[in-house]
Amino acid sequence: MMVRMTRVRVAGPRALLDATLRVLQDLEVVHVVRPSMPGTHTIPPDREAGRLRQVLEDDEAALRLLRASPAATKPPVEPVSLPRAAALAGRTRRRAAQIAHRLSALEDERAVLLRYQEFFSAFESLLDRELAWPDGRAFYVVLRAGAPDAVHRLRSSLEAAVHGEVELFARPLPSGETAVLILASAGVAARVGQLLNASRVQELPAPEGVGETSLLRAMPALRARLAKIPPAIAACEEERRALLETVRPELESLRAWLHDVLLVREARTQAHAGAHLFLIEGWIPRPEVDKLTAALQRELGPEVVVEAAATELWTRGDAPVALANPPLFRPFEVITRTLPLPRYGTIDPTPFVAIFFPMFVGLMVGDVGIGALLGVLALVLRLRSRPRSTMRSISAVAGACALFAVVFGVVFGELFGDLGARLGMRPLGFDRQHAIMPFLALTLALGVVHVVLGLTLAVVNAWRQGHRREALGRGVAALMVALTVMAVLTALRLLPHALFTPLVVAVLVAFPVLILLEGVIAVVELVSNFGQILSYARIMALGTASLMLAIVANRMVGAMGSVLVGVLFALLFHLVNFAIAVFSPTIHALRLHYVEFFGRFFSPGGTAYRPLMHWHPSAQGS
Amino acid sequence: MQDVMALAAAAAIGLPAVATAWAQGRIGPAASAALSEKPELSTTAIILIAIPETMVILGFVIAVLILRGTG
Repeated sequence: MMVRMTRVRVAGPRALLDATLRVLQDLEVVHVVRPSMPGTHTIPPDREAGRLRQVLEDDEAALRLLRASPAATKPPVEPVSLPRAAALAGRTRRRAAQIAHRLSALEDERAVLLRYQEFFSAFESLLDRELAWPDGRAFYVVLRAGAPDAVHRLRSSLEAAVHGEVELFARPLPSGETAVLILASAGVAARVGQLLNASRVQELPAPEGVGETSLLRAMPALRARLAKIPPAIAACEEERRALLETVRPELESLRAWLHDVLLVREARTQAHAGAHLFLIEGWIPRPEVDKLTAALQRELGPEVVVEAAATELWTRGDAPVALANPPLFRPFEVITRTLPLPRYGTIDPTPFVAIFFPMFVGLMVGDVGIGALLGVLALVLRLRSRPRSTMRSISAVAGACALFAVVFGVVFGELFGDLGARLGMRPLGFDRQHAIMPFLALTLALGVVHVVLGLTLAVVNAWRQGHRREALGRGVAALMVALTVMAVLTALRLLPHALFTPLVVAVLVAFPVLILLEGVIAVVELVSNFGQILSYARIMALGTASLMLAIVANRMVGAMGSVLVGVLFALLFHLVNFAIAVFSPTIHALRLHYVEFFGRFFSPGGTAYRPLMHWHPSAQGS
Repeated sequence: MQDVMALAAAAAIGLPAVATAWAQGRIGPAASAALSEKPELSTTAIILIAIPETMVILGFVIAVLILRGTG
């Protein structure tokens, strides 16, 4: 539901502007906007704000480099000396950057040496071969993975070129590559080197900085270096932790204070300031006006006055939008928030989504077993999510869907398809497997209710916005849909047949009225309304398909010859069905809302309500 | 007659299934490309991908109605 806003003007002596803004920040209810009164001009941004932003950037970069948890923070505290605090932030940033650079270099070096270690292990077993040919030269090469005959081709080429003067040994590496040691006599070493170059086989060089050109001789030095890296990393980490512990309280308090100050300065640029007076305008939820007046009186005395410009009608286009739904409905804002905010004065669809979305998903799933599994999934999500997070909202939505799925499972008598029936479970309503037509009728009836409700909400929206003609047109369209459906029901003898003629006459009378109000396009929209009602047949189609999959899964137990294999296949099929039951009904219930329901009345384009408030670590930026 | 009805039911679901697959095969890559540029379009992408499924779903309903007619 949308909160009704009041536009307020706060005026007072210019000297009290900053104090007033601080009171507004403490209250956290006023969405500050530029004054609308003629002749007012706002305060330009000052240079000091730029300097404060630079300090904040240093502060946040230092905390980020020192890996301070972003969620935790200290309350804002004004520094005793801002230049000293700025110097601390800058100094800490530079030192943290140095530590981070050292850590990164050590990690990179370790990664490279570990890569070499793979080769060490492979070549080490060939060490005695090299020693047996002391006057020769050893070549260390690595052949790429995916070329199984590469070693053979290399050996053949070398044998053909320097027969008897060369030996080749190969070892596979865990990475799939092949480590190759080529031992050549002193006389043919140069020729072998040329051949390797010509074949584009790269020799593995000894890493730099160990003072050896031969990889094998460099190994002990590399091993020693590798052993020294973990203590060096630990020392860097310790230095980082110590630095963080030392500066964290001060930097976090400074960060919060800087954010708060910058928020006030940003709001200041929205205020009018004359030679003697200031004027702030803003939007505030209607019930908060008295609280604002009392707080300003208490903190700043009678010199600062509050004037409620008027509690705006829903027609005000520039009023910010705040949604305030009851706790039961609030998680469903996760669905409506994927769309742009509705315009101020139009209807927030969240309460309707909270009722119809889980109902549609429940109708499609309609199985006690799958509903229970979905409930477990929702519980796991809830336990693993933080309060007020998106994941927590999704878990609540999933929980509601699970509840509806279990309820409709009882109505349809389904527990993992027909397993419930085999165990003696009986439907309280109807059996979806056999009563396909009643199920189709139920879903179409839901479609009628949903579409007519959408049209009715469109009437309310148009009426609130002052578009009376449009409201009447939508109302007549809703009436025509309802009358036509009732006429069809009387024709099918589901309603007393005596009503048929009056209903048809009513439709015939309403039709020209509709065209008069909305034009010829109303005919297209009317037909589209009926088409969209038919779209709700997807609830029946997906529900029946899900049931059939479950029945097929159950029949596998007796159809595979072996009971064990049959049970395994059945479980696999039920798992697939569960995955489909989570995904497909969600997508289609969303589609029914976004296209068929919201399309009737939803009017996007609202501005979010962002009151001047203190900075919170969960907020991104200022 | 029942054979013809069964064939009609198969066509009622089979042909829209092919059409849906063709449409989704074209919409999917386009939606993915749009999402890589603008992730905020995810809702629109879901809607666009789900829209062609209406054909096969209504085909399923028609197939059921045809088969019910044979009974």
